[in-house]
Amino acid sequence: MRLKSFTRRLGRPGSLLGLVLFLVLPAIAQNKPPKRDDREMDRVQAMITQAKKEAEEFSKSGGKTDDAKHPNLKWAATFWRYRLKHPGTPATVVATTQALTLLNRSNLISDLQTKADTLRLDDPAWEQVINVLLFASIKTKDYSYLLSKAEALTQSAIDQKIKARARFTVGEAYWKKGDTEQARINFQTVVAQYPNTPYAEEAEGNVREIELLNVGQPAPQFDHTTINGDPLSLAGFKGKIVVLKFWGTY
Amino acid sequence: MGEVPLLKELFERYKDQGVVVVGISLDEDVKLVQEMVASKGITWPQVSDADETVRKLYNVKGTPSYYLLDRDGKIVAKDLPSFKRLNAAIDELLKKP
Repeated sequence: MRLKSFTRRLGRPGSLLGLVLFLVLPAIAQNKPPKRDDREMDRVQAMITQAKKEAEEFSKSGGKTDDAKHPNLKWAATFWRYRLKHPGTPATVVATTQALTLLNRSNLISDLQTKADTLRLDDPAWEQVINVLLFASIKTKDYSYLLSKAEALTQSAIDQKIKARARFTVGEAYWKKGDTEQARINFQTVVAQYPNTPYAEEAEGNVREIELLNVGQPAPQFDHTTINGDPLSLAGFKGKIVVLKFWGTY
Repeated sequence: MGEVPLLKELFERYKDQGVVVVGISLDEDVKLVQEMVASKGITWPQVSDADETVRKLYNVKGTPSYYLLDRDGKIVAKDLPSFKRLNAAIDELLKKP
């Protein structure tokens, strides 16, 4: 039934609209088949592997991060060229993020910011790029550029996920700066405004941490069963100094 | 995982002063945890937190991560990402009267 009403909306067979769609739809489909996206993604992933290998070899042979001959610089340029040549695919997002990550690693912060400025606010790469800017800010302890970009994204990005990520990043930036009150407010905003994004749960955890998990506060109680089947209660360790080790075999 | 021998040594050194360790594994597969615990000879209690209740309770974002609690059950240090940082925090705590 749905399909029927859909074709009816397109117009009767032989109508101009029908003809145009008949010609255009396959062309669109051919232009961007998912297979091509996969191929491009593989290509970019191979570039990442190669870049990583060259960087490791360079530092093993005594090369420094700030060295003008560091392979990270060449690869940053290569990934950026890829972005300019192949706009609008999922691989573009990865290449963009990679280019900017490498610039950050080489401490070329103004170059990083100049390139980030060329990204429109609706660019899907922002979801990752904003995090690169956060790393750069933590390193330089200068959050002004990051905060202005993130605020702009929360206003003008189209994708809700990117808006959520930007608001979340504002919270993280304030937290790193030591302004826990601003951090809490921003994380709460993520929870309230973007409840259906992956960032809401993380933001909720951060609000909890800011409110309840400070040094000097009582550790949250829990009762569990050990892998041997014995009951374990944190309250049972009263009078002891307790190390909680969170770990994984992975 | 490379930190287990160091943690074992610390546990042996300080257990008479009332230091206990609780391992909270975030693995989904309990069997893997049991095997690892057996092969490494870990003697402190382990809970499997596959449903992440304890992780969420402490807002742990990555592993390994250590929390240190004093004798009153209060948080002394949190989110310590390495054994080295944990060791320093315990030494500091035990120095206090």
